[in-house]
Amino acid sequence: MKLRRTSLVAVIALAAALGVAACGSSSPSNATGSSFSATIDGSGSTSAAPIYAQWTLNEKSSGLTVNYLADGSGAGVTNLVAKTDAFAGDDPALTPADIASFKGAPVLEFPVAAGAYTVSYNLPGVNSGLKLTGPVIAEIFSGKITKWNNSAITALNPGVTLPSTAISVIHRSDSAGTTAGFTKYLSDVSATWKKTIGTGKLVTWPVGTGAPKNAGVAAAVKATVGAVGYVEQAYALENNFTYAAIKNSAGNWELPTIASTSAAFSGLAVPADLGVSTINSPDPQAYPIVSQTFLDVYQDPCKDGGLNANEAKGLYDFLTYALNAGQKTMGSASGDLPYAPLPAALQAKDEAQLATMTCNGKSLA
Amino acid sequence: MVGGGRSVLERSPLHRLPDRLLKWGLTGLAVAILALIAYFFIRLIGQSSSTFNQFGLNFVFSNHWAPQANIYKAAAMLVGTLITSATAMLVGVPVAVATALYLTEICPRRARTPLSLLVDLLAAVPSVVYGLWGVFFLGPKLEGAERWFANTFSFIPWFGGGASTIAPTNYFIAGLILAIMILPIVSAISREVLSTVPSEHREASLALGATRWEMIRTAVLPEARPGIVGASMLGLGRALGETIAVVLVIGDAPDIGKHWFDQGYTLASVIANEFGEATGLHRSALFAAGLVLFVLTLLVNIVARMFVTRSARGKPHPPLDGGQLMAGGVV
Repeated sequence: MKLRRTSLVAVIALAAALGVAACGSSSPSNATGSSFSATIDGSGSTSAAPIYAQWTLNEKSSGLTVNYLADGSGAGVTNLVAKTDAFAGDDPALTPADIASFKGAPVLEFPVAAGAYTVSYNLPGVNSGLKLTGPVIAEIFSGKITKWNNSAITALNPGVTLPSTAISVIHRSDSAGTTAGFTKYLSDVSATWKKTIGTGKLVTWPVGTGAPKNAGVAAAVKATVGAVGYVEQAYALENNFTYAAIKNSAGNWELPTIASTSAAFSGLAVPADLGVSTINSPDPQAYPIVSQTFLDVYQDPCKDGGLNANEAKGLYDFLTYALNAGQKTMGSASGDLPYAPLPAALQAKDEAQLATMTCNGKSLA
Repeated sequence: MVGGGRSVLERSPLHRLPDRLLKWGLTGLAVAILALIAYFFIRLIGQSSSTFNQFGLNFVFSNHWAPQANIYKAAAMLVGTLITSATAMLVGVPVAVATALYLTEICPRRARTPLSLLVDLLAAVPSVVYGLWGVFFLGPKLEGAERWFANTFSFIPWFGGGASTIAPTNYFIAGLILAIMILPIVSAISREVLSTVPSEHREASLALGATRWEMIRTAVLPEARPGIVGASMLGLGRALGETIAVVLVIGDAPDIGKHWFDQGYTLASVIANEFGEATGLHRSALFAAGLVLFVLTLLVNIVARMFVTRSARGKPHPPLDGGQLMAGGVV
């Protein structure tokens, strides 16, 4: 088990090194130059995997080895509950059921970045920016619209010649935070969707082909002419996909960009546990399908999470890095990770929460 | 002479210790394997009991898989497993046996080893590579052929006439990928079996005036048949249980496909996809899927074994008993 995990992590790190994060941006954070060394394990969100891969590389030189296994948000939470991991990457905020599974042990969730979910399509001759509204996307993914030249789509896109190609819907077949975010958006904008299909990490799709993980959906979209699927922006950019501009709650057409993803943060009420939801943000410049990705830890990882003092210190250092230097690895410049960094206000709240972390009651700060 | 010139019977019991150790050691290992299989079986039954309590045999015979509503009836996965494995056998076994025949009977001796090596090399390709190759290459390239096939044979039920519904990933593509994946194992074992057919049989057959094809048909194949069946069963075991390649090329749709070129799901791939995050009844249902797969594999082995014993009856020394081959591998 350990061996498999380690090799998987190596594969993921390698893939990331070759792929999304290849362009590696900010210089490694040479924290102190001391002989500190610790190894911490984490697992969870595949959407945020490129972020963790980059941070892991950057932190290596400061003596901190982070093993991140991208096996899905739910698996991440399960592993944190089971104390096999020091932290979990989690896409939607923790649900009350998730929190109950910790049996009273105080858990902190840190928003660390936001990513856009693109509605990517494979239509030769049609560029990025095909205009779609939430309700139309809901009708496509529920099989009511079956051809690309359906009047509902052409009416939104005067001047674009759309082929009569059949629409092949591609969706995630594994349990996925990405699916939870996407179906939450569709439930927000379509009462029919909410009633017939609903929100969840695993829903019953009336049409379409399933594929495992973001990478599987990306592969299927790439291979199928007429395909449409929802993929995390990093994966869409990596595959040179064309994706839709979506009408947001203020009525503006927004492409998934770093600016429109960042905008999703503004105008949000931040709850005390920092479990914000950036889906369908009220901001007029926001892309509507933006998901917040969280890093979840025990408030006292020594007492509740089974870490030793050294590992707890490593975890604290990793979080410090994630909230400061780590934020600078994201953005729209070339070489940046294609995620939106935290706005200053939310980052400050993260920092305040970080200061409450302890090891057996002793502050880690 | 070994042992200082004395027979083993004359030596002290101490000298026979290695023999005893070997005997008990091997017996222990063999029993451990049986115990492990029994343990799997008991654990599977225990973990899946809440599913069978709730759905009974509907879990196997009716179809409705909806994790968010906590309803788990897995007929579609069972059907998908059977269809893809049958397709794999239909396509893969003839090709594998033909390859083995070519290599043992026809191929020039000098080319035999390198060619065998190449066939065996297919087994070294990771299954995810086969899956992705299926998605990117085989699926799109074969779409036209599938459409032609469906339309030409549309009079046969379930061959998918009215081909507008051909899915990019489907039972047929999954079956083809599996056929390639079982090819090396079936071919390698068939090759070994064919090479154990005594050359006197071949020579006798040729001396009686048989052509090469008649020699293969009358002297080689009947002799090797039990072994070839055994080899095929090992291949079937792989096809039934394959996960990652199938997940990518079957479409992962929990419905029973309307035709051969429609998408579906298999028992092994639903476990691979959903187990990571499953809790409660969902988890138990996936264990139940594992149990069904386990029983299915067992049944297939028993039937195949009966078939092998029957076909081997009356033949004094079958070169290799397929049953022995199977006992080692499939479950």
